[in-house]
Parts: sequence; structure tokens; C-alpha cells
Amino acid sequence: MLGRLLALLTALVFGSEGAQAQAPWRADHSEPRRITIDERLAARAGLAVGDSLLITATAGSAGETVIISGITERSADPSEIARSEFRVRLHLDHLQQLAGSGDRVGRFAVATREAPGAIESAAARINALAFGFRAYRAADVAVETGATFRVVNRFHRAIGVITIVASAIFLLCITLLKVDERRRDVGALRLIGISRRSIVRAVVLEASFISLIGSAMGAALGYCAGWIVNWHYQGVYSTPLKFAIVTPSIVLFATVLSLALGVIAGLLAAQRLVRQAPLALVGR
Amino acid sequence: MLLRLAMATLLRRRARTALTTAGVAVAAAMLLDMVMLGSGMRESFRGFLDQQDYHLRMTPRGTMPFDSEATISGANALLARVNADPDVDGVAPVLGGKLFVTVGDSIIAGFALGIAPRIQADYVIADGREIDAPNETVWNGGLLDATGKRIGDTVRVSAGYDPQLRRFTGTRELVIVGRGRFVMLSGGELAGALPLATLQTMGGPDREDRISVALVRVREGANTDSVAARLERSEPRMSAISTEAALRFVDERLGYFRQLAFILASVSLAVGFLLVTTLVTVSVNERIGEIAVLRAIGVARWRIVVQVMAEGVALSFVGALLGLGLGLITAKWLNGILASFPGLPAAFDFFLFEPSAAYKALGMLVICGILAGVWPAWRAASLPIAKTLREEAVS
Repeated sequence: MLGRLLALLTALVFGSEGAQAQAPWRADHSEPRRITIDERLAARAGLAVGDSLLITATAGSAGETVIISGITERSADPSEIARSEFRVRLHLDHLQQLAGSGDRVGRFAVATREAPGAIESAAARINALAFGFRAYRAADVAVETGATFRVVNRFHRAIGVITIVASAIFLLCITLLKVDERRRDVGALRLIGISRRSIVRAVVLEASFISLIGSAMGAALGYCAGWIVNWHYQGVYSTPLKFAIVTPSIVLFATVLSLALGVIAGLLAAQRLVRQAPLALVGR
Repeated sequence: MLLRLAMATLLRRRARTALTTAGVAVAAAMLLDMVMLGSGMRESFRGFLDQQDYHLRMTPRGTMPFDSEATISGANALLARVNADPDVDGVAPVLGGKLFVTVGDSIIAGFALGIAPRIQADYVIADGREIDAPNETVWNGGLLDATGKRIGDTVRVSAGYDPQLRRFTGTRELVIVGRGRFVMLSGGELAGALPLATLQTMGGPDREDRISVALVRVREGANTDSVAARLERSEPRMSAISTEAALRFVDERLGYFRQLAFILASVSLAVGFLLVTTLVTVSVNERIGEIAVLRAIGVARWRIVVQVMAEGVALSFVGALLGLGLGLITAKWLNGILASFPGLPAAFDFFLFEPSAAYKALGMLVICGILAGVWPAWRAASLPIAKTLREEAVS
């Protein structure tokens, strides 16, 4: 793969800030320097460890030959899901020299001591000390980068509400039809002296039972659907991130909701039936 | 007569008919929303691009406009070469940068756009006038509100900050001459536009003769794709992105929503189909004797089929109509949620009502209603008359 020009690297290359602690990075400047690339780029361009590349910070300009020393996995970072850029990691000084950016960095990661309030006080001191810089807590950065997913989450919840409304109507309709189908049976039971309450209880019990069986089947279906969704989107976005997770709390919520809807639907349908005269129910 | 019979059957069990119609309406609303979502993002984005009235965007190779901080050097020569292309009708250069405004003790940072005022396509003047001199600027409402400035005010702005010298760089005094509505910026973004040459000068040597993107207008009748290919060949460090290519990029980034829309639309159709099938089947089962009598007195088989299918069609049609209204309301609600997506233009619509697509979707639901009635209708019409009448009499 010698001489492959990766013009797409313009502005996508970024320095490996973590590598700063390993300085000096190399002793022999006559040897080509080493970089790592992400697995998507490796797959797309057919590259492997040990291959040589010509890289440049500006498309069309003379490049520098480097050797691939590693292929990195994409991290499970939600903020990178829909981004299709390739990631190339260089030592900081290498990128500075390649991009002609001198002694500049994009950001610093600062480790603070493990003491209560250490992060806040360090951030405040940095912000007071270095006008023009801004120190952010890692948690605040995470909140900012997770904004996209919070919107998606709210959207999913809204879709969930519509689905629940549709399911409730569907369930009520089916229960009503099922109970209506047994008008004559219910009329006969009433005529032989079975109380209204017993009939309502029996219908509600049946509806609850159906709801529970439906919930169990729904949980199994949800688990399978989640597996398919994860398999599909992990492939599409080349990420180990999990898109759908069926947790016990979700199963519990779905079961309780389904049971509540089942009981309400059964109750409404049964009440409607037992209010009618037994003879009318048997068609007389 | 047939329709009247079908209506009478539906009205006989009002509660179940109302519930089924409500169920179909919710399914129709969901279907409509998903159709709107599936095409809305694409068409909304296309609307933004078409609004600019430029057909190509030339960016540093491999990047999308303002996707990175990469800029193009030798801008003047590049613009002259592009302008010389016989199929190019005009080129509008744009440089992106930062804008710092000091207000009292605080510093307000915004996005600066260096533009050529007479041919720019990044904003429309909402108030005041267009830039006419090197020291004039147009701000958006967000930046005006954040700084408390008004049209006519003179402001001191900077393009950068030198941390070593601890001072702002590229500071100029500018006069705000207008309030602009920036087409491609997100709702909360603070932005100001100023002449390209002014921003380049303020940026110092790093920004000298540089632009971020060049908008290219192609002559009428010329093939945009071939012009793009030609420009990319002649300018190897540039990408020429056509509207269609930009739309493909958007499709790639927001493909998740299209797939979700497709899945939920399919589920909605299936739910509508199941609901109508269930109701019509139960309704037919309840009226087996009645249907057998109709057949016995000489009513043709096809009339029975039409009557039963009319029930399904009526349910689907009324449900679809109700769903149309419900869908538009829920689409507005869902659009409000997705409008807070970070970085998207404020006027970007995820749910775009396109009459033809919406009516096609609801038409599909009505077709599902027709199909839902086929099996129970055929079953009802095929009943052995004598046997059914005897069984009904015995029961």
C-alpha cells in the first residue's frame, strides 16, 4: 500500500494528547514516524499494520511517509455515531509539525486530586488564571456532547406515548369484541344465578391473564428485536455502542402497564355487558 | 342499499365501531407522521440549499461546509479560475471565524461570517439594510439580544485571542447596519456577518486570502454534476458538492430516522389492517344467520362481498380522515421535540407535510381496509345456505 495518498485526512487528523506523557517519542528521526488508524479507515482503504502511507494536512500538497503501527477500535461514544470521518492518531509534535500549527494544542485534559471539590476549585483557578481559556468539568462536557441523544431519547418517549395510546385502544377493542362474543354465555350464567360481580371478576381475571401472557411474549419479542437492532446499527455505524437494551425495569414497567390496561379494558367491557338484562343477552 | 346496510351494521355496535375507528385513526396518524418524517428532513434540507440559489459548494477536499475549521488558501486566484468556467454564473466566497464582543465585564463569543455582501446567500435582511462599507456588519437577533446592541450602534469586535499576550487580536470598530436571519445557523447560535476582506484582515496572516467555502451558481441548462466533476479535476484540493451530494450526506447522517420511520409506518399499517380484519371478522361471525337469509332470498354473492368490504372501507376511511388531523397535531408536537437537535437550523423541519405523500400513505391504509375485508367477506358469501340456516335455527 506504499504511496497511498489519503487526501481525506484534511482536518480530520488529530493529535494523541495522551501520548504526551511518553515523550521523547522517538530517537531516530530518519525513520518514518508511526501512526494509528481506525478500523473503518483500515477496512475502507484496505490498510493493515505495517503499511506505509503518504499523509498531508492539505490536499494536493507534498506529504510525509508514515507507517501504520496500529489499528484502533471505535469507542462507544454516542456523539460520534452519525459522524463518518475516519480517525487517525499521531503524536502531538508530529501533527503540530505536519499542520504547521507550531506549539499549539486544541485542548488539555487535566487530572485533579481525589478530594472533595477539587475539580470545581481547579476549574475556577484555571479560569481565573488563564483569560481566554475555559476549563470545563468532564461531566459538563459529557452533558453537552450527550445533547443529541437526550433529544433522541425524548423523541423515543413521545413515540412510546403514541404507541401506548394505540395499544390501549387496540386492547380495549379486542377485549370488548371477546366479551361481546360471549353475550349468550353471560346471559345464561346470569339466568342460573351467577352474580354480576362474579362475572365481572371472571372477565377481569381473563383479561389480566391475557395481558400477562402478552407481556411475556412482548418481552421476548422486544429482546429479539433489540438484538436485531443492535446487530444492524452496530454494523451500520461501526460502533460497539448498544442502541437498544431491554432492562428488568423496562420489562417490569411494560408488564405493569399492560396489566393495568388489561384490567381497565376487562372492567369496562364486563360492566357494559352485565348492565344489560340477562334475557336481552340471550336474545329474548 | 348495500352501503346503507353496511352503515346500519356498523352503527348497531357503536362502541366497538368507535373504538376501531379510534384505533385506525391513531395508526393513520402514526403512519402519516412517519411518512412526513421519512421525507421531511430531506426536503427541508433541500429547501435550505435551494433557498441559497447556488448549486455547488466548494470546500477543502473531503469536508462538508463548516464541518471543520479547514480553510482554502489562495482564495482570490481560485475564485478567478472558477469564475472563468463557461458554465459558472457566479461565485460567492464565505469565510467562517470567531467573533468576540466585550460587553461590560463579560465577553460574548459568536460565529463570524465573512461574505461578499452583494452576492451573499447566507442570510436575509429582516431589519435595517445590507452591508455597504468595510466597517459595517449585520448581526442576527441572538447576538443583538445577547449584547444589548441595536441597529446603528458602533461596536468593538475581535476575531481572536492571543493567550500568550493575553489580549484580543484583530479588533475593529464596526457599525451594525442590519438584523439578519441566518439561513443555515441553529436557533441559539449567535452570529454576525461582515465583509470578507474585513474578516480576513482581522484574522491576520492565518486568514489572509483564505475562505472556508465558495458557493457556485451554475448557468441555466448546464449539467451541475459535470461542472462539479470538472471543477474537482481542475482544483484537486477541493471538493465540489452538489445539492444532491449534500442530500446524500444528510441521508447518511440522519438515516436512523428514515429507518425508524419506515419500521413504524409498517407497524402502523399492520395495526390498522389487523384492527379492521378483527372487527369485520367478528361482525360477520355474529351475522352468519342474517347473511344466510339474504343469500336464501336471492341476494347475489357479490353483493354480500361488497357489503362486508364496505364496512372495512368505511372504518378505514373515517379512521384515515381522523388520523389526518391527529397526525398533523402529533407531527407538530414531535417536530417541537426534534427542533432542539443541537446544531440544526432553527427553521429545519423534520416533519414536512407533502400532500401527495400524505394522501398516498392514507390511501394505502384505505387499501389495507379493503384487503382486510376480503377474507371475511368471501367467507360470508361462501356459506352453505341451508346448513347455516339450520344451525342458526337450532342454536
